[in-house]
Amino acid sequence: MSRASLVLVAALGLVATAVLAAPPGPPPGPPPPYQMRPVAPAGDRLKPGGDGKVLFEVHCGYCHLTGGMGTNLLTKQQVMAGNTPDKGLLANRTDLTADYVRTVVRMGKGAMPQQTKVDLTDAELDAVAKYLGKAG
Amino acid sequence: MKLHLPPRVSPKQFQAAMTAFAGVVGKDWVMDSDADRDAYSDTYAPGSTEEWPASAAVAPASVDEVRAIVRLANEHKTPLWPVARGKNLGYGTAAPRLPGTVVLDLGRMNKILELDTKLAYCVVEPGVGFFDLYEHIQREKAPLWMSVPGNAWGSVLGNALEHGIGYTPYGLHARNLCGIEAVLPDGDLVRTGMGAMSNNPAWHLFPMSYGPTFDLAFSQSNLGVVTKAGVWLQPAPESSLEIVWDIPKVEDIGWVVDTIAPLKISGLIDQNVFIPSWLGKMVLKGQRRDFWDKPSAIPEWRVEELLKEHKLGYWQVALRLYGEESVVKAKAEVVKAAMKRNLAAGPAEHWWHPGDYIHGVDTTMGIPSAVPLQMSDWIGGRGAHMGFSPVVPATGKHVLDQMARSRKIIADFDVDFYASFTIGGRFANNVNMLMYDRDNAAEVVKMRKLFDALITETAKAGYAEYRTHLGWMDPVMETFDFNNHALRRFGEKVKNALDPNGIIAPGKQGIWPAAYADARGRSNKV
Repeated sequence: MSRASLVLVAALGLVATAVLAAPPGPPPGPPPPYQMRPVAPAGDRLKPGGDGKVLFEVHCGYCHLTGGMGTNLLTKQQVMAGNTPDKGLLANRTDLTADYVRTVVRMGKGAMPQQTKVDLTDAELDAVAKYLGKAG
Repeated sequence: MKLHLPPRVSPKQFQAAMTAFAGVVGKDWVMDSDADRDAYSDTYAPGSTEEWPASAAVAPASVDEVRAIVRLANEHKTPLWPVARGKNLGYGTAAPRLPGTVVLDLGRMNKILELDTKLAYCVVEPGVGFFDLYEHIQREKAPLWMSVPGNAWGSVLGNALEHGIGYTPYGLHARNLCGIEAVLPDGDLVRTGMGAMSNNPAWHLFPMSYGPTFDLAFSQSNLGVVTKAGVWLQPAPESSLEIVWDIPKVEDIGWVVDTIAPLKISGLIDQNVFIPSWLGKMVLKGQRRDFWDKPSAIPEWRVEELLKEHKLGYWQVALRLYGEESVVKAKAEVVKAAMKRNLAAGPAEHWWHPGDYIHGVDTTMGIPSAVPLQMSDWIGGRGAHMGFSPVVPATGKHVLDQMARSRKIIADFDVDFYASFTIGGRFANNVNMLMYDRDNAAEVVKMRKLFDALITETAKAGYAEYRTHLGWMDPVMETFDFNNHALRRFGEKVKNALDPNGIIAPGKQGIWPAAYADARGRSNKV
């Protein structure tokens, strides 16, 4: 994708603009976070009690970290709903419940396709739902 | 989704197969609940997901487990649909062609087995995604670049095996494959090329080995389950220059192709040059209703207005050159002079040197991203889309002819025209993106009729698709008609010889084993 079209991508929303607009100067450091997710934890993926933050970043980070596709779309939706743009990041939301997170992951929502148990096991999903489900 | 059994398999036999699979992979990795079947359905299905339903999914973690599952599938006459990461979005996602087939999900086999910086290649398992490989290369600080598709959520091998394309010098992804390991339909294990010799270090380096060359026989194919492969990577260039032209008029695509294709064929341009129409940029600026609030196609006068308002050309050429700076500079002069013959306005130029910022969404630099999938929000709803993707010779005459035909058919159906051409050498891949609301039954019916019409009319003109959705695998194979469909007859002879029970991906790309040939041309109409 060309830089010209990137500027158009950036025009999506307030925060998206700040995040996506190509800076004029030299390197600001490493690649964007959604392209450098943490290393997936080793061990049995079926075992409960994993680190919800790490698992969220590993398995949902393709789209839901800064600059990701899901973040861009959610930022726009949040701003239109009168919320602050930082709420486009799921990790900043305080209104999500664990059950809601589980349902959206397994059933999909809007442009987000449903996720299989190979994408995210039930144990991993429980940990992610606990991490994101700040509303209980 | 309720259970749709494979043909001629009773509920009891099906349960026996599931129990046998669980004995190999563990019961947690046999997924056969209603919710699991939904998870493996086609998320962008043009219509009901029950038209192409999986009965279950099974997820092995090793080559040995794949071999055991394949042997058991033969024993239980239960067909398998192998997917790498199951993200074949727009072409069926993870769903199988034959109703009741069990998805063989290779997503757990996600090891990067080798990364060779000197000879610029890697060896990966099918579950390795573009993001995984990119992050590994970054962590290793390896001076290597990848080639990625528009939406890079999927698998490196899955995309290459499905003939996916990218926008770098390594953009013909199937051509980057070198040396494949595959489980055959009887559970046997084969390595292609130099890998046919034990411990041969040139396995992933030399593509034209001794004897018949089978690597690509496993692409868009149902002859085996690929369990690992070598993938060539691009050495990181010393510099790169992006040159961007806005091309004003729709008919300009003719001279643009006649200008760029010869430079691509000669090797002066080495990337796949992607030329999207204006709508390709508009879809990232908002939703359709922000720009045109009627269900009818956006009329030409409104297109003109939008191009003016948003300072867009009808097309955009964003061409990238790679290599030593002096070479890139010299190449750029040749390209600019060639373009200037038809376009007075000079291009925008963006240099890149190692250490410079790379934008998170730059497919021409091999950065994986799912952001281009944001186009699925254009219509809203569940973001359904399908690509009609014929291949034409890379000349202005062929491209204009193809475009005029598609454009008229699409206009006759009162649908927006959203085309791109990617010049990959002597050919151009034309993708006509059709975006629709899959919860609007009338719209789905219209899109399906439109898709049928595009295939039929394009074939009459002598052009074919290179890839298609599950629902059109048979009609597209039907268009390959030379000598009474000799290619299909050959494919099916080979299929029947290797897979007498027809258990690997029956119907894939319109190749049907005898065991399920009665399902040709059919789906679960619901």
